[in-house]
Amino acid sequence: MAKRYFIALFFVLAVPAVSFGVQAEIKLDDKIASMHKAGVGPVIFPHAKHEKVYKCNDCHPKIFSEKRTENNISMKFNMEGKYCGSANCHNSPKAFALFECARCHTGVPGAKK
Amino acid sequence: MKVSSTCKSSKVALLSLLVFFGFAVTTPVKEAASATPAAKTKAKTEAAAPAQEKGTAVAPKLDPTDPNSVIYLDTSGKPAGIGDPNKPPSMAFQAGRGWHPQALSAAGLPRDRYGLIDWAKIVREKLVSPKFSLNPQDEEMPPLQMNVLIAAKGDFVDDVIYPHEMHTYWLKCEVCHPGIFVPAAGQNNMSMTGIVQGNWCGRCHGKVAFPLTDCKRCHSSPKKAASKAK
Repeated sequence: MAKRYFIALFFVLAVPAVSFGVQAEIKLDDKIASMHKAGVGPVIFPHAKHEKVYKCNDCHPKIFSEKRTENNISMKFNMEGKYCGSANCHNSPKAFALFECARCHTGVPGAKK
Repeated sequence: MKVSSTCKSSKVALLSLLVFFGFAVTTPVKEAASATPAAKTKAKTEAAAPAQEKGTAVAPKLDPTDPNSVIYLDTSGKPAGIGDPNKPPSMAFQAGRGWHPQALSAAGLPRDRYGLIDWAKIVREKLVSPKFSLNPQDEEMPPLQMNVLIAAKGDFVDDVIYPHEMHTYWLKCEVCHPGIFVPAAGQNNMSMTGIVQGNWCGRCHGKVAFPLTDCKRCHSSPKKAASKAK
């Protein structure tokens, strides 16, 4: 009897957690060696902030793959209009520009973290 | 008994699944529904604004007798004067004739894809050709034809080709050397974070020269190491 309720409770808790995709912040640091050369730290991507404005399929899977390792994000690609720098994103007048290093990269003078 | 109990438990599980999938699906839809009209109206107004700008750029209806014509607006968009040269000068005239962005847009000057006026293009296409000096005795100095390759620090960003030509068209050597830049290749430890904060190129770019918005305008020479890594 208790087991049954436990199973029910599992679905109650686990299913919304998965379907909402609760992703508060994602640390992007796979190019950390290059970042240090340029004098910046890793990027903390605020997923929650973007969720407020956009639907999942605005970015996934067209701009970003849902799999973390499949996104080869770099400033070069951002400049060329891919990833963060896609049309209507951070390489357009609609969002803050790519040169504002401190708004994404940590470890920069003027950064929040 | 055993069969019915497992049946019951699976029913409970299914029901809870249904309820919470429904919950999970409906809330984002509601959010999206409330978000889209605002986005649409924003897009509409944005689409309308450039169209208007284009309209004025193609056929500028500048009526000199109309005091509300864009050529008479000051920097805050208010009428700067009454459009009558015989009357006393307006506040904007007294404040040093601040240039007004709307009048510039009406003049149909070339712009980049960020909507910024491309002054370098204006010079190259000879839309303006300012005199070298106010003093007619001054000997004209041709711009310095010298491009400097500045390697980007990061491995993935294209290198910068710095054109002396466009800079020496407007400025003399002493404006930058040696105050801002040591005149020796590789001796200036420039960084993008420093430039953003107003050092090196940021002394002018973002203030009196074109801003840092378009990365590719300077970062234009592909890095060989990065292209190999791809």
